[in-house]
Amino acid sequence: MTEALKLPPILLRLGAFIGLLAVIAAVFQFFAPAYLSNANLHALLRHMSVNGLAAIGLTFVIVVRHFDLSFPGVASLGAMTLGWLLAMGHGLGVSISGGIAVGVLAGVINGTAVAYFKLPDIVTTIATGGVAVGLSYFYSNGTSISENFFMSGILDLNDAKMLTLDMPVVILLCSAVVAFIILHASRYGRAFYATGENKLSAIFSGVRVKAYILAAFALCGASACLAITLLVASSGAANVTAGSQLLMPAFAAVYLGAALFGAPSIPATLAGTLLMSAMLNGFTLLAIPYYYSDAIVSTVLIGAIAIFDPKLTAMLTGMVTGRTTAR
Amino acid sequence: MTVLTDNARDHRQRFDLQTFLVRFGLFFLLAATLILFALLRPTFISVGNINDMMRSASIAAIMFLGLTWIVAAGEIDVSFMSVAALANMLVAGLVQAGFGWPVASLGGLAVGVVFGLVNGGLVAIFRLPALVITIATGGLAGSIAAAIGLGTSISLSSTGFVGAALQTNIGIIPLVALVVVVLYAIAYFIQEHLTFGHYLYAMEQNRAAVVEAGIPVNRILFLLYILSGVASAVAGILLTADLSSGQPYIGGSYFIDGLTSVLLGGMALKYGKPNVVGTIAAVLLLAALLSGAALLGWTDSQRQIVRGMLLLFGVAFVVWARRKNRAHI
Repeated sequence: MTEALKLPPILLRLGAFIGLLAVIAAVFQFFAPAYLSNANLHALLRHMSVNGLAAIGLTFVIVVRHFDLSFPGVASLGAMTLGWLLAMGHGLGVSISGGIAVGVLAGVINGTAVAYFKLPDIVTTIATGGVAVGLSYFYSNGTSISENFFMSGILDLNDAKMLTLDMPVVILLCSAVVAFIILHASRYGRAFYATGENKLSAIFSGVRVKAYILAAFALCGASACLAITLLVASSGAANVTAGSQLLMPAFAAVYLGAALFGAPSIPATLAGTLLMSAMLNGFTLLAIPYYYSDAIVSTVLIGAIAIFDPKLTAMLTGMVTGRTTAR
Repeated sequence: MTVLTDNARDHRQRFDLQTFLVRFGLFFLLAATLILFALLRPTFISVGNINDMMRSASIAAIMFLGLTWIVAAGEIDVSFMSVAALANMLVAGLVQAGFGWPVASLGGLAVGVVFGLVNGGLVAIFRLPALVITIATGGLAGSIAAAIGLGTSISLSSTGFVGAALQTNIGIIPLVALVVVVLYAIAYFIQEHLTFGHYLYAMEQNRAAVVEAGIPVNRILFLLYILSGVASAVAGILLTADLSSGQPYIGGSYFIDGLTSVLLGGMALKYGKPNVVGTIAAVLLLAALLSGAALLGWTDSQRQIVRGMLLLFGVAFVVWARRKNRAHI
């Protein structure tokens, strides 16, 4: 026990992650032999790419220590904008850019309200999310849009392959690399973390704190809309309720990853998303109704936050080694 | 000397007008909304409509009572509507399974206590982040609610004693509205006149200072989450009787309403500090909006936008008023 604790923390954490993944895979492989088949792994990664993109955007907001609850609503608005533009006969590029522009715009509104007008983040984003959902009904009075989808080639976003990888996975990997460079290999990333750790000292270090908070919200909105583009491509229709399924997996992925690796980061988020998708995909394969899998996602989220919380961990280690925690 | 005092008084008086507008703006908004809808659609002020409006507002007011205090204490609970939905579905499920309404209602209350204990334990005792924890517990409650009815609603043939109590009227005022008034009067007394209420406001301002003053902050927060759970469960039980069915997705419509009521209500009287009088005024405003919008034939999405805008402007107004008046409160 004490020997194991002396390993470098990152190895321990990586080990815990791989162990968890192996346990999940083993359990589902036992109940559903098709789990580790080639076709299902492709489905798993496709599923992961939608949630992963939303979670990557959310990571930026969590890093600057804010919350964004508007991205599900914004994603619905983005999906409907995309569908409407396609139905109007615009090209694929224009339509996707239009959808993502909606996300950026919503993010800029959130960011301006939170950073420059100092409004409370949770309430503001709940409100803007509500407005976005309301606006998404205007394109078609709430019915789903699927005109011109086949002609425009948006379905290829889901079906095309590149080097045996599905297109959604390629998009996720590219976005993850870009996000990784921004957050972990550039001075901008340091500034994001500095803003989150201590706003005041970040200001005195010459970081334009407000601009970074604004940027984090804008990135979150944009990536939520990119994620929903993939979802629209895979389902073949734009839906007003499309975004609502993004909220919980994205938060669970970011917090699970942060809990496993000690801090929110892009690799941690990807690891969290992989764990969540591995579980959700398994449940789908076993034909377990969505409400049970939702319950399990919530339980995992509570468990992850509780188990990996530094205070609780300290308390438990204290109990294991027989010392009482200092009070 | 005289000039000086004159100046000071003049200054204060001018200030009082602005203060007055900020503090009572919500009540004017409520009155204006009521009058506007009454002029546009005379059926809006018919006895039946007023009765319905008060009943639905009362249920919402019960649901948001605990939330008001949690937000006043500087924390957040976004699981309240899902707890109400779970209580709603559990009562419907138990009644359908042949248990009587009393047993079913106790079951519904137990849901509130359990989720209050879980939320309170994790947030107040273990000090975990309230927003994410309550998102998760809310998701859990919501999915259990859906699982009870296997994803669909449960309709009931009888509404038992809860339904009878809910339909009782005194004059044109439903009994439940009177109960809510008494409940909110007690809550008002506790929040504004007892030390417990002052602790709530103090916790929002500076949690560490309250801890240093020797006040059992964690225990108070724990109690608040249990209160919120129980209040939401009671509202859920009433909803079962009101709709004579269990609706697993009823929570969604109360989510924005709850936060709008509490925060918009905070604007009234207290410059952005959530208080029960403000909450009930905001609940009435939203109920009037719902009823009036239905009479005017607005779509759900238009109402959703209006509610979102109300919340956004309410928050912006509160922040603006607070910053402007900070030195003067």
